[in-house]
Amino acid sequence: MVFGEAKRYYVERRVLERMSATGSGTFASYFTRLRTDAQGEIEQFVNAFTVNETYFYREDHQLKCLTTDLLTERIRQKRKGDAVRIWCAPCSTGEEPYSVAMWLLENWPLVDEYEIEIIGSDIDTAVLEIARAGIYGKRALMRLAPHLIEKYFAPLGAENWQIVDDLRTSVQFSAANIVELAQTRPYGQFDVIFCRNVLIYFDDASRRVAAENLFENLLPGGFICLGHTESMSRISPLFEVRRFADAIVYQRPAAGST
Amino acid sequence: MDPQKTILVVDDASLVRLYYRTALEGAGFHVVEAMNGLEALEKLLILPVHLLVVDINMPHMDGLTFLEAVRRKNRELASIPALVTSTESAAADFAAARAAGANYYLVKPIDQAKLVQFAGMLCGVPR
Repeated sequence: MVFGEAKRYYVERRVLERMSATGSGTFASYFTRLRTDAQGEIEQFVNAFTVNETYFYREDHQLKCLTTDLLTERIRQKRKGDAVRIWCAPCSTGEEPYSVAMWLLENWPLVDEYEIEIIGSDIDTAVLEIARAGIYGKRALMRLAPHLIEKYFAPLGAENWQIVDDLRTSVQFSAANIVELAQTRPYGQFDVIFCRNVLIYFDDASRRVAAENLFENLLPGGFICLGHTESMSRISPLFEVRRFADAIVYQRPAAGST
Repeated sequence: MDPQKTILVVDDASLVRLYYRTALEGAGFHVVEAMNGLEALEKLLILPVHLLVVDINMPHMDGLTFLEAVRRKNRELASIPALVTSTESAAADFAAARAAGANYYLVKPIDQAKLVQFAGMLCGVPR
């Protein structure tokens, strides 16, 4: 992650938050704590810097593209009962992978014909805990129609809702830093990867490394969806750009094609 | 008014259980779930069930072994109708399901409306 001068305020806020949370009176004492990783401060520090603003059905045009075009193309070379693997990296507090699962249940009539595997990964272990718990407030649910909330959530107190158990267990969450090949490789290859709004926070070199790692995590012919302001063409020549009715998506070329 | 019928959905994929559950609950059925044949046998010991919806390929105890076990139980359990659901669609698969005690067989993918319709038929409550 690289923060330019324009992000100074953002950085200061996070450092002050951590100083206050750890009871450090001065920056020097906090910095010592960070350098010695006292009480796991490095992880806490990283967690404070990761951006966790998201909500259900965000950028749903990509979800539409997933069921209309991407999966239709992917299953052409599969047999009934084969795995369809989808990776949300990063997944933040889980809204995105759960949205994928809900979207498939609502919009993909082949949901019982393939073995669907949805994995959410993030570098931030604190958000993964929230994702696993699957408890959300009003803001996260703002784009969801009431019948979807009724179907896939159970009210928890007056202000929160929890994802129903079957949906919760249909998504696996685990930690991964997409810039570290040793961390991405064990996940194997996917049909579709959602990697939205994270590469914008990286510098050019890290962006390229992440793109190359994610390329390895795609099956030949597999797709990667970025945030709507991001372009893979600026980062790496490995992918083919595909234009579908609802979204622009990048593809690992199928085996045998040039 | 019919008393509410209870359907036991047996499938190892939680997404599939949820897919069937929402369809069946939407049509007024009460749904309980099991993730394999062993758990399903346990559920049958504690709950009155009017229909089994059973996948074939599952870990620990597959659907056909489960059905065979159910058909060997006392008459009350042995006579629960069973709808087998599977991605397999060869004649040999249909025959094996019939031999295990299936009342009907639907090949995945199963349309939610079709599932509701067949569940209603097998429970004797048209939907």
